[in-house]
Amino acid sequence: MKKKVGLLFLTVVMIVAIVGFSEAITLTLWTAPNPNQNLFWKTLLPEWAKTHPNIKIKWSQIPAAGSSEEAILTAIASNRQPDICTNIFSGFAAELISSKAIVPLDSFAGFKDLVKARDMSNVIKKWEYNGHYYVLPIYVNPMLVWWRKDILAKYGFNQPPRTYSQIYDLAKKVVIPHRRYVYQAVTGVNWWSRWFDFITDYYAASGGKPYIYPEKQVAVFNNKYGKEVANFIYTLFKDHYTAVDLGNLPFYNGAVVGMIMGPWSIPYAQRQFPNILKNDVVVTPPPVPDNYPKDKPIYTFADTKGMIIFKTSKHKEAAWEFMKWVYSNPEHDVLWIKLTQMPPAREDLLTNKLFAPYLKDPVFAAYAKYVPYSVPPALSSKTVSIQQAMTNKLIEPLMYLKTTPQKALNDAVAAVNNILFQ
Amino acid sequence: MKSNVRSLERVENIKGWLLSGPYWIFAAIFFGYPFVWLVVLALSKWNFISPRETIWLDNFIKLFRDPMFWTVTWNTIRFMFYFIPMGLTLSIALAMAFSKAKRFKTFFAMSFLIANVSSGVAYSIIFTQLFSTNGPVNNFLYDHFGVFIPWFSDPNWAMFSIAIMVTWKFMGYYALIFLAGLQAIPKELYEAAEIDGATKWTQFWKITLPLLNPSIVMVMVLAITLTFGIFTEPFMITGGGPLNSTQTFMMVIYTDAFLKYEPGYAATMSIVAAGMSFALILLTRKLIERKVEFA
Repeated sequence: MKKKVGLLFLTVVMIVAIVGFSEAITLTLWTAPNPNQNLFWKTLLPEWAKTHPNIKIKWSQIPAAGSSEEAILTAIASNRQPDICTNIFSGFAAELISSKAIVPLDSFAGFKDLVKARDMSNVIKKWEYNGHYYVLPIYVNPMLVWWRKDILAKYGFNQPPRTYSQIYDLAKKVVIPHRRYVYQAVTGVNWWSRWFDFITDYYAASGGKPYIYPEKQVAVFNNKYGKEVANFIYTLFKDHYTAVDLGNLPFYNGAVVGMIMGPWSIPYAQRQFPNILKNDVVVTPPPVPDNYPKDKPIYTFADTKGMIIFKTSKHKEAAWEFMKWVYSNPEHDVLWIKLTQMPPAREDLLTNKLFAPYLKDPVFAAYAKYVPYSVPPALSSKTVSIQQAMTNKLIEPLMYLKTTPQKALNDAVAAVNNILFQ
Repeated sequence: MKSNVRSLERVENIKGWLLSGPYWIFAAIFFGYPFVWLVVLALSKWNFISPRETIWLDNFIKLFRDPMFWTVTWNTIRFMFYFIPMGLTLSIALAMAFSKAKRFKTFFAMSFLIANVSSGVAYSIIFTQLFSTNGPVNNFLYDHFGVFIPWFSDPNWAMFSIAIMVTWKFMGYYALIFLAGLQAIPKELYEAAEIDGATKWTQFWKITLPLLNPSIVMVMVLAITLTFGIFTEPFMITGGGPLNSTQTFMMVIYTDAFLKYEPGYAATMSIVAAGMSFALILLTRKLIERKVEFA
């Protein structure tokens, strides 16, 4: 009798174990609340479901909130975070890393193979933190300058300006007070605006050198490159070549001849200003100081976001499997370009034949070309405070001519270092 | 007899608890718990992720030493200085205009409420476009008078421009409160004043305004509460600039909590801001509230 009961118990345990092990794993995936990116995941996920019946993906947008970071933090605080999440910018990644909330991706088998397969060895280097890689960059949006070809031609300029002096020369001809200015020197006073003006210009002037020294976490942008950029911004405002407020849609309205833009402006221009985009736009890297070598590539800022796996995930290996599947197939990046028109984080955009059809568009081709020369922001958990200090101590004093460029730079560096040392 | 009364009292007591119970449960979940958590947060250092650390009053000490706190306090005072006189004057004027309307009174009143119920984000975008450098307002001013006003880009103008927008939004709502106040004033008082030879101006100062006191106090209380809670307009239009001239308590609280990952510090600022607005409301009531009797 005892034997029979024992056998029955063993059978039940085995059945439960078999059923349990064969049950599909469910991973929660949160992606950016962006209609084009939604379309990408909506198209891709059924393919995964076909080939991976045992790993189900429960996909949703990052819940509605003031920002993605707010939604994710609230989820972490209430222990409802997903397994995998996209739309992670460097500053937020640094906070998650320092709080040990996410997993180093280089701890998984096949990490190096994925980096190689996606041709992203240099791109991913800029995401290294404490000797590890925690974020897989999805896309890299280089910041480039759009110039109004028609206005340049009207004033006898066949080429857009490359250096600061060339911009001043252009300004002397095209500026009409309160009507038209030469270049948008400052993109706003929000903390993130610094990515698209001072930091972009600094990377261009310095050949992609850091503005915060990564190992020691010390601000160094009051060097000769920072001085060049601060002088450039100051001169534009002092000589009335630019203005604090350039009005609505200044580029398309012709209120400004040149403006820093991201590739997300392409679909917008295609819908709203197709003629201007087709006939009157020429794209260049950000302006550089007069002595910048002509044969040296010009670097720029990379607006880049990535994907992470949370430490709380019960199925980290499965999450990594999913990540590998998405990013090891270049066809998926082709789909990404087709639906989002943002360059994926890979260095073979100009050489891989799969992407050739999209390079026929000269504006997108310009962005693709600058992916290898695009540098993400400093990996710091204090990004918001740092960039607010840059705004208050550097950019606003330059805009309103409150102080000299040198003093503004020194004040900003002191303020940023104070934040970093806290 | 005594036991019957007691039993009736007990039944009434149970009924009372049963009827008010859902409210108490609701209040405990949605007000009590968040309030306790707010106080706990204010005494803590936390970044949403790592374990919370109790630091007692350190956040309060840090707050009073933070120049941003004083900048925001000064901005709030400036906003109130622009908004309350503008809002009160225009809404009283509007209410008096409504009260004189013979037809479509409700239609006009409801039309002004549209501003109040419209999306803050939507009208912020519209105002940005209207008042921008090359927007219709500046184009008109430049073409006809040769002047150009940097509505949102000059530190001296930006808060005033935001106050104009907020006044536009709330003017209709406040006017409805004043309209109700005006309608409650007995007509006989005006008739008697007219017989005594009082001018319209005298009637306004001696009858209308004193008898509108309850409505004025109510609007003042609403306006002060609003001042400490303003967020959408500066967030959407100026981002707190230029030179921090439009930073508000709510913007700093939001940034500190969700962008700088310092919810404890943000909770501290919210408690202090709430305390300030409460104190100001008490002071306002003490200074201007009068007992009004129509009989």
